[in-house]
Amino acid sequence: MTPPTSAVVAALHRAAPGSRVMTSPAQMAGYESDGLGYKSFRPDLVVIPSDADELARVVRVLHEARVPICLRGAGTSLSGGPVAAQGGAIVHTSRLRAIREISQDGLWCEVESGVNLRQLDEALQPSGLCYPPDPSSGPVCTIGGNVASNAGGAHCFRYGVTSNYVLGLEVVLLDGSAHRFGGPAGGNGPWLEDWKRLMIGSEGTLGAFTRFWLRLTPRPEKVWTFRATYPDLQSTERAIHGLVRHPAFPVAIELMDPRAVALVETSSMAVGLPKGHFLIVTEIDGPAALVDLRVESVAEVLRSAGSADVLFSDKAEDRETLFKARKATGGLLGQVSPDFLVQDAVIPKRALANLLQLIYDEADRAGIPAVTVMHAGDGNLHPNFLFDSRIPEEVEKVEEISKRLMQRVVEVGGALSGEHGIGNDKSSYMPMVFGPESMRLQLAIPQIFNPQHQFNPMKVFADRRFAA
Amino acid sequence: MIAEERFFEHFMDPVDGVLCLPAGSDAAAIERQALPHGLRFPLLLDRTSPLCEQVASSPFAPASSRYGPYCDNITGMNWELPDGRRVRVGERVVKSTTGYDLLRFLLASGSRYGRALDYVLRLRPACDTSRVFSLRGAGSLLRSAIPAILASSWIHWLDSVDFVAENGKPSFLRIAVHCPAGESNAYEDFLTRIAAGAALLLETSPPDILDGCPDLVVKTTPEFVADTALSLAKHPGAKCVALSACGVVHVFLPDSGAIAKIVRPIESALHAMGGHWQSRHVSPGPSQLEASWISTLRKEWNLP
Repeated sequence: MTPPTSAVVAALHRAAPGSRVMTSPAQMAGYESDGLGYKSFRPDLVVIPSDADELARVVRVLHEARVPICLRGAGTSLSGGPVAAQGGAIVHTSRLRAIREISQDGLWCEVESGVNLRQLDEALQPSGLCYPPDPSSGPVCTIGGNVASNAGGAHCFRYGVTSNYVLGLEVVLLDGSAHRFGGPAGGNGPWLEDWKRLMIGSEGTLGAFTRFWLRLTPRPEKVWTFRATYPDLQSTERAIHGLVRHPAFPVAIELMDPRAVALVETSSMAVGLPKGHFLIVTEIDGPAALVDLRVESVAEVLRSAGSADVLFSDKAEDRETLFKARKATGGLLGQVSPDFLVQDAVIPKRALANLLQLIYDEADRAGIPAVTVMHAGDGNLHPNFLFDSRIPEEVEKVEEISKRLMQRVVEVGGALSGEHGIGNDKSSYMPMVFGPESMRLQLAIPQIFNPQHQFNPMKVFADRRFAA
Repeated sequence: MIAEERFFEHFMDPVDGVLCLPAGSDAAAIERQALPHGLRFPLLLDRTSPLCEQVASSPFAPASSRYGPYCDNITGMNWELPDGRRVRVGERVVKSTTGYDLLRFLLASGSRYGRALDYVLRLRPACDTSRVFSLRGAGSLLRSAIPAILASSWIHWLDSVDFVAENGKPSFLRIAVHCPAGESNAYEDFLTRIAAGAALLLETSPPDILDGCPDLVVKTTPEFVADTALSLAKHPGAKCVALSACGVVHVFLPDSGAIAKIVRPIESALHAMGGHWQSRHVSPGPSQLEASWISTLRKEWNLP
C-alpha cells in the first residue's frame, strides 16, 4: 500500500483548493468507525471537497497516487461500510448539501449526495410530496449513504426501499470522469444498459456518488396507527401473517420484543408501553375516505390473532410517540452496553417465530443479552447483541451467534441483508449464498468500474483487496 | 468455502405472497396457483403471452401505477446464460441488499446476457371488485386532470391511470380500480369529484386494461407523458397508452419498421432527461465507452 504522503496532500490542495484536507490523529479519530462501533480502522487522511467538481479532482489525485478511497456520508451505516478498512483516504461528502430542484408536476427532485433525509423532508413539506424511505438514522443520514446501502426503514413494507425511488444518479469513476445514469425520467438515458441498477446498493465499491434524481410521492391524507400486544411468538407471528395479506396493505408492520419494550420503558424515553409482551405497531394510510373504512377490519386482524390489547388512533401525536419509542431502541442500547451489534437479515415470514427463538436460545446460552426489533412486514430481522468489545471472548461469542444466525437465514431461504448492506461485517458470509458461477457474475461488476478495488476495498466481498 | 450453486424450486408461499414458476407461464397459469390463496399478480400486459415476453417488451404494465415496474415485483429468478450455464439471481424475500443488483440489471437487459428460466413473483391481495372508469372530454381538460390525480394520495390505490391517445380518435383517461366491494363507492366518489372539477364526463368501461405487448416503449417523466403520447399518436395507425404515474408511453404500431423514424425526433430530448426508448423489434447500440464496459462484463462472465 502506498501511504499518503505530504506530496499527496499537496497535490490535493493544488487540484481542489476549496477542499479541506485533514491528517492529524485527533481529526482521524472521528472517522475510525461507523455504527458498527467495535470495528475501527484509522484512515490516513480525510478530504472534504467543496463541490462535485472538486470531488472528481480529489478522486483523480487519489487514484493516481494509488491511495485507497472510501466515500462517507454521515457515517451511520451499521455494517462497517464507510470505513478505511485498508487505510488510505476517506472522502467526506458533507459539503454536497444542495437540494437543486423539486419538480412538483414531475414528482421528482434533484439532490446532492450529502443531503440528509430530514433536510429533504423539510424542503418537500410545502409541496405536499414526500420521499418515503425512512431509516432510523433519518435525521442525520445522507441520501448518498442511503443509495450506497439501499437503505429501507419502517415504512418500506408498502412504500419500498431506496432502489424503488432512485430515478438517476451521477457517479465519479476512478479516473475522475463523471457519468450520469438515468435522470428525472428514471430511464437509461443514452446508455443501452441500466447501469444505475448496479450502482444502487454497491456500497461505495464502484464510484463516488455526487447527485441523485429521486422519485417523490404524495403525502398521505390520513394515517391510522395501531398498537397491539401479544403474549408469545406464535400469536405475534399469526398477527403479522394476517396483516401482510390484508387488502388495506399496511404501510409499516413493526415488532418490538419484550426486551426492547422494557429497554424503552425503563429509560427517559418511556411512553407507557405495556411491558412483558411482544408489541406490534402497524399503520395504514391513504385518503381519509378509504382508510376510515378499513380501521375496524385491521383491528380485527390484530384481535383475532390473540391480542386483548389493541389500541388505534389517527392523532399525529400518538403516532409520533409510538415511532419515537420504536426508533429510540438503537440509541438506548448504546447507553446500557459498551457495545452492541445490530444484525440485519430477511427471512420468509413463516420462519419468524422459529428464527426469533433461535436468536434467544443462542444468545441466552452464550450469556449475551439480545434485544430484537424488526420490520416484521418485510421479515427483516434486527436482533441487537449487547457485549463489551474489550472482552475478546464476548466478541467471539457475538460473532459466532451472528454466523449461526446467518447460516439459518440462508437455510430458510432468506437474505443476508435487507437494508444495512454487507460492508465488512458480513463480507465473509457471502460464499454462503453465492455459488461459483453466481460469484463470478458478482465479482465481474467491480472489474468494469474499479478493477483494482481502490474504491472501498475489503467491503461486500472479503477478497476485494487493493494491491498498490 | 463457496457454497454449491443454489436455484429456486417452483413453490407457492401464500404467507409471504410469493410464487415461483416457469418464466414462460401465462396469466392463466399464474392465476391457477395464486387465486386459490386470495392472491394475484397484477402486472400483466395481456393474458396469452408468456410472462417473459411481456417483461421483455416493457419494464412496466398498466398496474405499475400502483405496484411499480416488473423489476420491483419479480424478486428472484433462475437465469440461463447464453452458453447454457445457470445461476440464481435475487431472492424469494422482497427486501435484499446482498451484493450487486444483477436481478434488476438482467431484467432490463432483454436477452443480451441470456434468458429467465423461472421467476419468483411478488403477489398482492386479490379483491372481489375490479372496475374501469373512463374520463372523457376536451384534450386540454383531460391533460389537466392527470396532475390532480397524481398529486392525490388516491394515486397509491388506483391500479392504473392511463391516458389513451389513438390516431384519429378522441383521447380519454382510463382508470382501473381493484378493491373490496365495500370500498368501490369511495373510489367512484373520488373520480366523480375529479370529473366535475375538470368538466369531464365519467363513464364506466369494460373491465379490461390489457392492451398487449407494446411495439415501442418511451420512458419520460409524468409531466410530459400525455403530450408525448399525443405526439406519437400522430403516426398513422398508432395507438398510445400513457401510464401516467410511471411516465411511460406504450406505443402500438401497425408497422414496426417505422420505429426508427418515430423515435428520431424525440430521442435527444428523452436522453437529456434521463429517459430512453426501447422496442422488442429493434435496439439502439451502445456508445464506444459503454461498449468497452460491456466487453469487460462479457469477458468476466466468460461469454462469447
